[in-house]
Amino acid sequence: MSDAKAVADRLVKAKRLNALLTPPKDLRKSLAIQEAAARPTGVLYGMPVAVKDNICTLEFTTTCGSRILEGYRSPYEATAVAKLKTAGALIAGKTNCDEFAMGSSTEHSAYGRVLHPLDKARVPGGSSGGSAALVAAGAVPAALGSETGGSVRQPAAFCGVVGIKPTYGRVSRYGLVAFGSSLDQIGVFGRSVHDAARVLSVISGRDPRDSTCEDRDPLRLPTVPESLQGFVIGLPKEYFPPELDPAVRRACDRAVRLMKELGAAVREVSLPHTPYAVPTYYVIAPAEASSNLARYDCVRYGPRFDGRVDLRGLYRSTRGQGFGPEVRRRILVGTYVLSAGYYDAYYKRAQQMRALIAQDFRNAFDRGVDLLFTPTVPSPAFKAGEKLSDPIAMYMSDIFTVTANLAGLPAMSLPIGRIKGLPLGGQLVGQAFLEDEMIEAAYALERVVPATDEA
Amino acid sequence: MSSSWETIIGLETHVQLRTKSKMFCGCATAFGAPPNTQVCPVCLGLPGALPMPNGAAIGLAVRAALALGCTVHPKSVFARKNYFYPDLPKGYQISQFDQPLATNGTLSFLAPERGIVTAGVVRLHLEEDAGKSIHDRFPKATAVDLNRSGVPLIEIVGGPDLRSPAEARAYLQTLKQLLEYIGISDCDMEKGSLRVDANVSVRRAGETALNTRTEVKNINSFAFVEKALTVERDRQIALIESGGAVTQQTMLYDSKENAVRPQRSKEESHDYRYFPEPDLPPLVLTPEFVAEQQSALPELPAAKRDRFVATYALSREHATVVTSNRAVADYYENVVRAGAEPQAAANWVMTEALADAKDHQEQLRVAPGALAQIVALVKGGTLSHQAAKKVFGEVAAKGGEPRTIAEALGLIQVADSNVVAGWVTDVLGAHASEVGRYKSGETKLMAFFVGQVMRASKGKADPKLAQRVLEEKLTAS
Amino acid sequence: MSVSREEVLRIAQLAELDVEKEALPELVDNMSRIIDYVAQLSAVPANGTVKVFVPGPDAIRFRADEVTPAHLAFGPAEFAPDFKEGFFVVPKLGQFE
Ligand SMILES: [Mg+2]
Ligand SMILES: [Zn+2]
Repeated sequence: MSDAKAVADRLVKAKRLNALLTPPKDLRKSLAIQEAAARPTGVLYGMPVAVKDNICTLEFTTTCGSRILEGYRSPYEATAVAKLKTAGALIAGKTNCDEFAMGSSTEHSAYGRVLHPLDKARVPGGSSGGSAALVAAGAVPAALGSETGGSVRQPAAFCGVVGIKPTYGRVSRYGLVAFGSSLDQIGVFGRSVHDAARVLSVISGRDPRDSTCEDRDPLRLPTVPESLQGFVIGLPKEYFPPELDPAVRRACDRAVRLMKELGAAVREVSLPHTPYAVPTYYVIAPAEASSNLARYDCVRYGPRFDGRVDLRGLYRSTRGQGFGPEVRRRILVGTYVLSAGYYDAYYKRAQQMRALIAQDFRNAFDRGVDLLFTPTVPSPAFKAGEKLSDPIAMYMSDIFTVTANLAGLPAMSLPIGRIKGLPLGGQLVGQAFLEDEMIEAAYALERVVPATDEA
Repeated sequence: MSSSWETIIGLETHVQLRTKSKMFCGCATAFGAPPNTQVCPVCLGLPGALPMPNGAAIGLAVRAALALGCTVHPKSVFARKNYFYPDLPKGYQISQFDQPLATNGTLSFLAPERGIVTAGVVRLHLEEDAGKSIHDRFPKATAVDLNRSGVPLIEIVGGPDLRSPAEARAYLQTLKQLLEYIGISDCDMEKGSLRVDANVSVRRAGETALNTRTEVKNINSFAFVEKALTVERDRQIALIESGGAVTQQTMLYDSKENAVRPQRSKEESHDYRYFPEPDLPPLVLTPEFVAEQQSALPELPAAKRDRFVATYALSREHATVVTSNRAVADYYENVVRAGAEPQAAANWVMTEALADAKDHQEQLRVAPGALAQIVALVKGGTLSHQAAKKVFGEVAAKGGEPRTIAEALGLIQVADSNVVAGWVTDVLGAHASEVGRYKSGETKLMAFFVGQVMRASKGKADPKLAQRVLEEKLTAS
Repeated sequence: MSVSREEVLRIAQLAELDVEKEALPELVDNMSRIIDYVAQLSAVPANGTVKVFVPGPDAIRFRADEVTPAHLAFGPAEFAPDFKEGFFVVPKLGQFE
């Protein structure tokens, strides 16, 4: 059992990473209050869980890494946060992230970039980079992040921790600040599969405030299996292209060999529409984002920039200055693809492609595959600034993760080795609402894979 | 000038549904609360809030669709209509677009010039209301109240089937009556629970193509519908006749000036960027749910009117008046059920009862049984019509039993021929010259004699009996 | 350039975003590249028979019509940039009126 002061001390020690947005004073004060109020009978009693800053909390401000919500305190809390508190967990501050979760490096935060815990010149991945970095640095055993296109799995892979994105509809989105509503899910980071899974189990389940959340009981945690006997693991060939980094391929091959040794059957499968996943994602996510971010109009909350006399002028200056360049770019792209004359060519086409991508997965699962295994990201953590000038290069870092968001499937990343000291992640993709099978396989692989060895 | 012109009007009507809570959150819909007190994360559009649809609102919308003879679609889709306005908290309105709740209905109404007209209802969809912007509360600033934000609405899009401002008014009146009948809305234009926008164009008589139309907004009272549309029609005709052309734009009606002016807006062609609302799964209606709404519908006004004609032998005109309002129709039927003769009951309801209700907050103050008794007292000769009206007023004001009240007021007619004969004798004695003229053929003086008898009896004489006795005496002597 | 300067400005107006003059050339370039990139979707033959995929529940659940407002820990006065006499206050609408 960790006491509030020790938790705060550990978090403050990790300050150099710029992973936490909550000031130490606020953090210490709140943790002491929370500890006194926490229910000793809760299954997460005393467990500190850091929360990405795009998830509403009563304890701390919720800024989404944006100037447009600078100092914003939410008058209500997210369902996931309320469930954590009911289970006795301590909300251990708010973590830095790409502005409105748009990014893959946590460089797009109005509050500065997050440093990779193992190499400060590199990025921790994103957009939930702050949460990943804090778990990797050992400051907290678990943290909440959010995913729209891989924002939990990709930083988990970069930082060498476990990251789970549940099935769309498994966890309530109420209180998760929307980016791409049809893709968004709250996800979890853990030092271990177990830490991540038990937090996921607590935050999962029905919520009368979210129409897109399924009316289901919370996820039941599987036990650690003796073997992977009976599991059929599919290797989608599109995720292992010839140009794949050899070290990434070696680490994956090793993980696959280990799963076979545990009794799993392994089979190559094809997900033919994979090449279109990133362009599909970069139509649908910005389209939804352009609408979701219309509410930041400085009428009801948020600061106002530049007091121009008429409201429209105020809208434009506040939104122009309050949003960073990547968010502005995506709002514009999203507005463009939805605007008159372009809707059919872009948005409608992307919707059709999304259906085909989801169908690819169904076809694979229908042919007897239980789970898919792929690299999480094509490369290890890149250097800060490396991809900032080229948005498309940045988008390509989501190439193996966006498909699960488009298809609404559960997926997770766990460490499977390192290249030159930098972590690599292996990804498991499961069938809808069968997170338990996915977690079972992850438990087994985690026990045998040399996660910190060079591949 | 309008004789050679035809006006084409289609109305888009927004109707607030009668629910306790809002469309997508549990906030109250009650009118008149202090500003921004009926709000929550959802209807304030706070970051992270999500909509949860109100089943009762959906049920009421389905009822409206069924009453308008629409096809109710088993699956429809909510969509976002994106635009910026300070009283639109999310920057979009949750509405329906290419897959609406219902399509293809009709509304028949009595047009002043064309008789019964059946106008098309293109579509009916569900949406949420915006808040309220108040421009005269603070100098140089706009005040925003979000109590109304998220209140459930239906939008009823009528076809371009109306041919005059008067027709538009009649259509709207019939629509309002229907919606009130089925109890889905209070349809109060003053409170904003019924709002109408009109698409207006004109063409020369004989033309079939539709010309450029304008949209007339801000018609915020029933009385202004006809006026606003007349002004806009005349403006368009004058414009074309002077060689100009109508441009597609939104016109705002100013009721004080009785004028229309174009909305001052830079982006006239709105690009709403509709797309399916990702926060809401498809709206799927089971056949059971639709059947439940169907069975909750009362008899509709047109059917009731036809039945009143058939069952009570009322004229179509009388039946229309008596069924104009569901409460009045029910009242009428209760009066008849309590034993009143149907035509007499209709006469009483259309005159005394409605007049009294108008002065007393639409309350039908005389119980159906009491009115039936009054009707019977008149028919049986116990009360004169004048006396009966007095009794009605008394019962309305104080309650009580009509006969008792009539007795207490001394209004019971004297039907004893001996007593009446006494008054007749007095009257004939006092008017010898008129008696002479009558006898020499001036029979129309009978009315005068009856009047004198009524006067002598202080209204108590049964006028029919008085006339009979007068006739007897005048011919006998 | 698949997206013109004028189009970017028009879109920015729809999205109510100021675009600084100096930032415009790079923005036009970035937007064009992104739009060109996603335009590869149109290279795939359109398939009108594809059923739309919507993640999450197949149908809306209905909420009961009860007045149960979600709780606000504190009122709008605490988070609004300008709140007077119970109203959110904004500058005059200008061109909106
Ligand atoms: Mg509407
Ligand atoms: Zn509300």
